Amino acid sequence: MGKGYRQAPGKDAGKKRTDGKREAGQQDFGVPGSGGSKPHSKLQDLDYVPESEGGWKKQPRGPHVHDPHVTGTTIGKSTPLIDANWKMTGQAQYGDDIRLPGELIGKILRSPHHYAKIKSIDTSAAEAMEGVFAVATGQDSANSFGVLPVTKDEHAMAQEKVRHVGDLVACVCAIDEATAIDAMNSIEVDYEILPSIHDMEDGLLDSEHPIHDRGKYHIGQSNVQKRVFQQFGDLDTMEEAPYRHEADWEIAGLHHGFTEPHAVVAHWDPAGRLTVWTPQQVPHYLHRALSAVLEIPMHQINVYRTFVGGGFGGKSDPFPHEMCAAILARKCGRPVRINFDREEVYWINRGRHPSRIQMGVFADDEGRISGIETDALIDGGAFASFGHVTTYYNGVLHTAPYEIGGFNYTGARVWTNKPASGAMRGHGAVNSRCAVEVGIDAVAEQMSVDPMTFRLANLLPPHSRTITGFRITSTGMRECLAKVREQSGWDEKFRNLPLGRGIGVGCGFFISGSGLPIHWDPENFPHATVHLQCDMDGGVTVHTGAAEIGQGSDTAVAQAVSEVLALPLDMIRIRSNETDTAPVDLGSYSSRVTFMNCNAAIRAAIELKEKVMKAACEIIGYHPDVLVIGDRRIYYKHDPAVGVSWLEAVHKAQADVGSLIASGAYRTAPMGGVHKGAAAGLAPAYSFSAYVAEVEVDVETGFVKVIKAWAAHDCGKALNPLAVKGQIIGSCHMGMGQVLSEEMKYGRDGHLMNPDLLDYKIMSVHEMPEVVPIIVESNDPEGPFGAKEAGEGPLLPILPAVCNAIYDAIGIRIDELPVTPDRLHKQIEKRCKEMGVEDPLDLPSPRFEASPLEQRLAERAEAHAARDHLRDIQEDRSSYVNGVLFGFDPDIPMSEQNEGWRESVTPTPEDLTDSNKRAARAWSHVERRHQGDSL
Amino acid sequence: MSIHIRVPMLPGAGKETWQANVNGEAHEHLVESNAILLDVLRDQSGTLGVKRGCDMGTCGCCAVLIDGEPRLSCLCLAKEAEGTDITTVEGLADGHHLHPIQKCFAEAGGSQCGFCTPGFLVVTSAFIEENPNPTRDEIKCAIEGNLCRCTGYQQIVDAVEMAAAMKREGVQTPDPTEPKSDPHPLGPDVPSLPPGSSK
Repeated sequence: MGKGYRQAPGKDAGKKRTDGKREAGQQDFGVPGSGGSKPHSKLQDLDYVPESEGGWKKQPRGPHVHDPHVTGTTIGKSTPLIDANWKMTGQAQYGDDIRLPGELIGKILRSPHHYAKIKSIDTSAAEAMEGVFAVATGQDSANSFGVLPVTKDEHAMAQEKVRHVGDLVACVCAIDEATAIDAMNSIEVDYEILPSIHDMEDGLLDSEHPIHDRGKYHIGQSNVQKRVFQQFGDLDTMEEAPYRHEADWEIAGLHHGFTEPHAVVAHWDPAGRLTVWTPQQVPHYLHRALSAVLEIPMHQINVYRTFVGGGFGGKSDPFPHEMCAAILARKCGRPVRINFDREEVYWINRGRHPSRIQMGVFADDEGRISGIETDALIDGGAFASFGHVTTYYNGVLHTAPYEIGGFNYTGARVWTNKPASGAMRGHGAVNSRCAVEVGIDAVAEQMSVDPMTFRLANLLPPHSRTITGFRITSTGMRECLAKVREQSGWDEKFRNLPLGRGIGVGCGFFISGSGLPIHWDPENFPHATVHLQCDMDGGVTVHTGAAEIGQGSDTAVAQAVSEVLALPLDMIRIRSNETDTAPVDLGSYSSRVTFMNCNAAIRAAIELKEKVMKAACEIIGYHPDVLVIGDRRIYYKHDPAVGVSWLEAVHKAQADVGSLIASGAYRTAPMGGVHKGAAAGLAPAYSFSAYVAEVEVDVETGFVKVIKAWAAHDCGKALNPLAVKGQIIGSCHMGMGQVLSEEMKYGRDGHLMNPDLLDYKIMSVHEMPEVVPIIVESNDPEGPFGAKEAGEGPLLPILPAVCNAIYDAIGIRIDELPVTPDRLHKQIEKRCKEMGVEDPLDLPSPRFEASPLEQRLAERAEAHAARDHLRDIQEDRSSYVNGVLFGFDPDIPMSEQNEGWRESVTPTPEDLTDSNKRAARAWSHVERRHQGDSL
Repeated sequence: MSIHIRVPMLPGAGKETWQANVNGEAHEHLVESNAILLDVLRDQSGTLGVKRGCDMGTCGCCAVLIDGEPRLSCLCLAKEAEGTDITTVEGLADGHHLHPIQKCFAEAGGSQCGFCTPGFLVVTSAFIEENPNPTRDEIKCAIEGNLCRCTGYQQIVDAVEMAAAMKREGVQTPDPTEPKSDPHPLGPDVPSLPPGSSK
């Protein structure tokens, strides 16, 4: 496998460029962290550990490029969010709090039908109403947009068809809300109803009216939006494995449930520029989409990100109502505000995909995982949204943290006439991760080994590569498992608790930033850029486009700058709201902000520091190498009395160079394979986590209560432990909601039955158990000060931990989410029948007697722990790829060592013979462009 | 909003003068007799700290104190609050000093995105007034009507415990307008020594 990003080589891929520009996958990148005005980082003394950390010695988790820049100012200290006081006093302005003089209220007319052709729209009555300023329909918005450039299938308002109940048809703006609603209701729309589809399996079939038409790329005549096929490893051996668990999962769709409904204000100022105030996670994509829809250049638009009342992925698409507000404001020349009510929030959705996942986990006699076989059919609803990526993530994100012998994935995402699914915390990984972890638990049960030991004996080490070529740098998986095992009292409780009480474990890993940016050419543009500006007052202003959505990104970037410059946090000011002043950042998704944005900020701060140090050197007369930057002071290392204040040095620097500014950027290192789809799931680092949950099951009613959860998450380095703990506990809350109570319920006619917070059951404070957040720090070599993500990964393990705990309590394997009392009660009744007991209270609870394999696995785990330590501190720098556990040589291509080794991303007819696999059926269609010349 | 049923907006019964004390200030507005308190507070009194989350009493973001009692302003007609003392989140801090509950929510991580925070703050400020020495279970009962999607409640309960303790001990919160760090700490002539220096 080569290196680089050539995941989908273009037609000129083979040609050598002669214009001097760099070519995808062909050249070396700078050292990670490079960019900005300095294209390459300087080499660092990797063995140096700052004196604050104990002087010149090796760190327990290995060296880090940022070690020389640690000043002990803020990193690693619990820091309240720097914008907290705005929120505390009610002065934080969210979308609906932007009030402009002369504003009009916009309302959106939505489709009452699942699927229909629009024959005519009559807006004359609305336009004639007093107090109505503008009415817009699909005719005003012919251009399409979408979050992914390959699937721009959305319009501000319906063009010819409405595709789900709640799809946008027209919009009006009026002097007040009552008038706007009246006007909206007076719009006459004539629909011709089309047969709608609601079950995701129907989406695999040919349809007379496919929900979208992708032209020559359309897959047959079906509603398949995306299909993925990946086979890696030795699948024949996998199929013969003695231990296997196969399950067919049905997982309900989910909504993010953020507390702030969407709201947007659009205003064209007198100079003809458009400003859009909106709670957006990804202002840059909206910026692009507005430009395309309104047909004006991007420099004519300012996207102002307001405070965001919760995102979780649900505010990361460019939304049609944001276009509507801009279109209305353009028509009437006044500011227009559109705010959603709670029901509309569910119509726009973008939540977790309803999924049917067939999951097979296989293990051999040695207690190794000989393979994972997954078939995931996911229900995308009416639009593509992030769907391409979700379809990949459902498979590729279970190629770690375990070493596996084979990986066989078929996935498909279909359009149905439902509100669109999209990205939600733990994007694409959550459902299939739950299935994998439950499978691993079941396989361990078959082998009579402790699932903890089984996991510990099969982990990928640090600085290794997964079966599909992801580069694992640091991993704290082993420590996570060890900590939850100890703190939860696992060894005493596992399989020892009485009926109705159980304990279970689950693991997870997640990307820390996406290696391939969606819109950008990674060869030419960095992922994140940060500008710093320092003026006479000595404070530092940070210009960044990273979207603060409550996760604390502003605080993290302020901490990064403050740490390098040794300034107190109150001297750092963040300007991250406006695209006018912020450099482009790709936004708050894929858990990328801390990793990429802080890396860029550190680069910028180092550059600023060098300028100030140079000025200090001129004042004091010592070379910058022997100067130390301390709290608002720069002094001579060996005689701290000799020094200058920060302000003096800043003034001197300004006198010398004029303006004191710096910028830094981040781009990922070259990595990954070259097969189609290699970039999906590729990240500069991965976070790892292991949770243990203890549950109580009422065996008579099927009601499940989580009593306590121990949650260990490897975030590399906790820049702000307070925020990391908040993310861990919050993730547990959201994950427990998915596993126990939350679901988007669709009725028999396909109508969404619970578009409100009363019937969509988010956990209240009473259902929420105590969570013990455990931070594990693996010091990632490329993360900012060693940090990785902590926003999404912590959600993954709680689902399988609860499911496995339910098994421990009553011996029932869960394969349907959420585990509501009615569902579980049915399972309990079934089990009673199987076991021949009348009263569920007489059910046997699972017990455990270790087989001889347990001892062998425990020994292997111990040996691996020693191996991992040596790799961690980089004493052992030998290469390691997935497969070494199975006896392969990491330095010889697998296919040369094993004739049966497969690396295939296009299926052959033999691969698709299993008719039970749902998503595999998507491959029975032929893309139109390959159907022959007649088309 | 209603998708299936087309009901013309009912004409209001005519506007009447409505008055109340909002955060200690007399407010008088012309409002429809069927106006909802939440709308009056947000659109007319200008207290935008009162948040609209669900419009049906499920999320608790719109909680305010009416004569010291927590109420959901989205389920309350403005008429019902006529002549009362209404406290919103804007009224918790006295002048410069934050209310202890505000300080503790910030410090304990009881607020992430902050949208539900105003509701939690007014509810818990009334609660610790009533019960200065609460147990964790009592705190949970006090906030059971508020939904938070970010924090998982644990740090919110921590914050309320901290605030109750602060209130019992009569600790005053710092004034945010006090001077911040000086970039020139000891003046240009006096070197500030790093910690541990013998010089």
